[in-house]
Amino acid sequence: MSRVRLPSLTPGASSVVGKSESGTDCRWRLDDLLPDRSPMTAMSVSTARLSAATFAGRLVGTASRLSRRGTGASIRGKVMLKIDPSALSKLLAGKRIAVVSGTNGKTTTTHLLAAALRESLGPDSGRLVHNADGANLHHGLTSALSEHPEADIAILESDERVVADVIKLGRPEVLVLLNFSRDQLDRHHEIKSLGRSWRMALAAAGPGGPVVVANADEPLVVWAAKAAEHVIWVDTATTWTQDSSLCPECDANLIRVQPDPASGQDADWYCTGCGLARPKGDYRVESGTIVDRAHHVWDPHLSVPGRFNINNAACALAAAELMGVDAGTALKGMRKVTSPAGRFATAQFGSTTARLLLAKNPAGWAEALPLAQSRTVVLAIDSAAADGRDVSWLWDVEYEQLAGRSVIATGRRAQDLAVRLRYAEVDYRCIPDLAEALANHTKPVDVIATYTPFQRLRRMGRV
Amino acid sequence: MSVRGRRVEVVLIYQSLLGLYGDRGNAIVLIKRLAWRGYEPVLTHVEPGDPLPDTGAVYLLGGGEDAAQVSAVRALKADGGLYRAVDRGAAILAVCAGYQIVGNSFTVGYQDEVISGLGLLDVTTTRGPVRAVGEIISRWNGRDGDDQWLTGFENHGGYTRLGPGVQPLAAIEIGVGNCNDGTEGAVAGTVIGTYPHGPVLARNPALADHILELALGHELEPLVRPEITKLRRQRLARVRRLHARNPLRVQSA
Repeated sequence: MSRVRLPSLTPGASSVVGKSESGTDCRWRLDDLLPDRSPMTAMSVSTARLSAATFAGRLVGTASRLSRRGTGASIRGKVMLKIDPSALSKLLAGKRIAVVSGTNGKTTTTHLLAAALRESLGPDSGRLVHNADGANLHHGLTSALSEHPEADIAILESDERVVADVIKLGRPEVLVLLNFSRDQLDRHHEIKSLGRSWRMALAAAGPGGPVVVANADEPLVVWAAKAAEHVIWVDTATTWTQDSSLCPECDANLIRVQPDPASGQDADWYCTGCGLARPKGDYRVESGTIVDRAHHVWDPHLSVPGRFNINNAACALAAAELMGVDAGTALKGMRKVTSPAGRFATAQFGSTTARLLLAKNPAGWAEALPLAQSRTVVLAIDSAAADGRDVSWLWDVEYEQLAGRSVIATGRRAQDLAVRLRYAEVDYRCIPDLAEALANHTKPVDVIATYTPFQRLRRMGRV
Repeated sequence: MSVRGRRVEVVLIYQSLLGLYGDRGNAIVLIKRLAWRGYEPVLTHVEPGDPLPDTGAVYLLGGGEDAAQVSAVRALKADGGLYRAVDRGAAILAVCAGYQIVGNSFTVGYQDEVISGLGLLDVTTTRGPVRAVGEIISRWNGRDGDDQWLTGFENHGGYTRLGPGVQPLAAIEIGVGNCNDGTEGAVAGTVIGTYPHGPVLARNPALADHILELALGHELEPLVRPEITKLRRQRLARVRRLHARNPLRVQSA
């Protein structure tokens, strides 16, 4: 297997087309607005505008943080993009960039990758910027980058909807595409349209586009990634198959072969209509180990739990090696990741010790539920915009597996969960108030929460 | 006649294609409501290529994307079992995309390609001016008391017009429903189509029992579950309150 040649970075080559908050192109160049078109003046005005935006952003960010409205990251980025619509592309310019996206596991994978690079940078780890809080839209990225203007390496988690813009504006070196599943269908009406936007952006980027690290077990990811010039396939043994039954290329039925350890049959998929099929993995996850391109077997020994995090680590490892970090160093760094943006963190709520797990959609719940092993399990459901306003997905989650345990349903949509649990014949208590639901447990409890209650719990538990 | 041990088969059609919005939930609801009354329910999953059983009492179709709809309608036409089920008097609940495909025709894609449906309901679907996404409350025709309020969540780009061969299921209170004409869903004999998707039967137990009664041909004893009553009360109150604040669209929870 030949090593992929990395595209050389051309600083300043990023497009200067501005981005509005909504992500639509502002069809003017900054230069067009300036009376004097001499390059020097244009450059200094451009820099001045970014500085003004950064300063204003910092002011409101601090105000927001002091008033305890949030981390201030989101509002800071919003203000910056208002003052300088091209702030994001200016901040991305000239950096070595790796981007991670997908429905589930973005935040953890980005933390794993950032830790791998930090380990390799050692005392120079200040060269790295990372949107560690998980703010992954245009304004979140802008805010994170502006916090460390001196950094020359950016490890960025990107929302699925922002990937195409980041490819265009930032010309990342590496793009990790983890998975695709139904999530927030009230907002993304068609899962495939996101895949299409990735595919088009990769095709447009051509030979100068990123090397894509892609999950070979996800047909929609494979279809999108195939538009890239260079792809490193990761065979993750993903078991969630409910979101891809038709071929993204030709709409014919996909055939799924379930893995069978007894006969040695690996998971496989192929289309009955066209040639689309599961590519052979360059990296493989096999019985809890990661097999790299040189067929070296690594025992990941991660500090974050779950089989799915080994998949995430395999993708992060492939990306780290592309960025020039050797596997041993990368894994040493990754093992230091314990609770990325509060996920898997253990927190104290009065006398109660609770471990926080995030699950945002049926695929995420399928991974999180088996992790929750405490006798009493607290499940927190909300339907704010970030959770998805429609809670129909509760019926795609197999809560039946909790039968025999003691379940507490909490959050603003606790009653919807209560009905779901009733039909699953799982004993539960419904306590909508989060603090009350977590009060006075004598033994440690596992909490699984959708996005909004998860963030509230992080603030309450200070993790 | 004792119901104890009486076998009742619920057929969940093409989950891989028409199971986008928790549509499995409707099957779970029907199965449990039968079991809690002493019946012996059987849930049969059918995927494209498998024949539809001729023994089903209830057949369920759920939501899906354009390509899945086209694939599902092709497979169902080739199979033919759904037509025989209707002729036998089995109950059919078709939700969202499933509702569209049991009609005369529907359109898919940006080119609005017209696809002929199964023709089980005299309704026609074309792309609407804006996608209907949000909470929906309708008043079930012919019902009174608390049961008349049907509550759910709709998310559809197609707008459906009713022909003379069907009656609307309900009248819209809040939401878009069929095509912003004040009607929601359609009924013809034992075939019911409706937009509120996914587990619409979880929020509307009276509709669930009505479908079972259509399938069984007799009335069922009442079954009260306090958590469902409470959920209905909460949802109806919350959605009405949000609607009063912003009558344009109730998307928020």
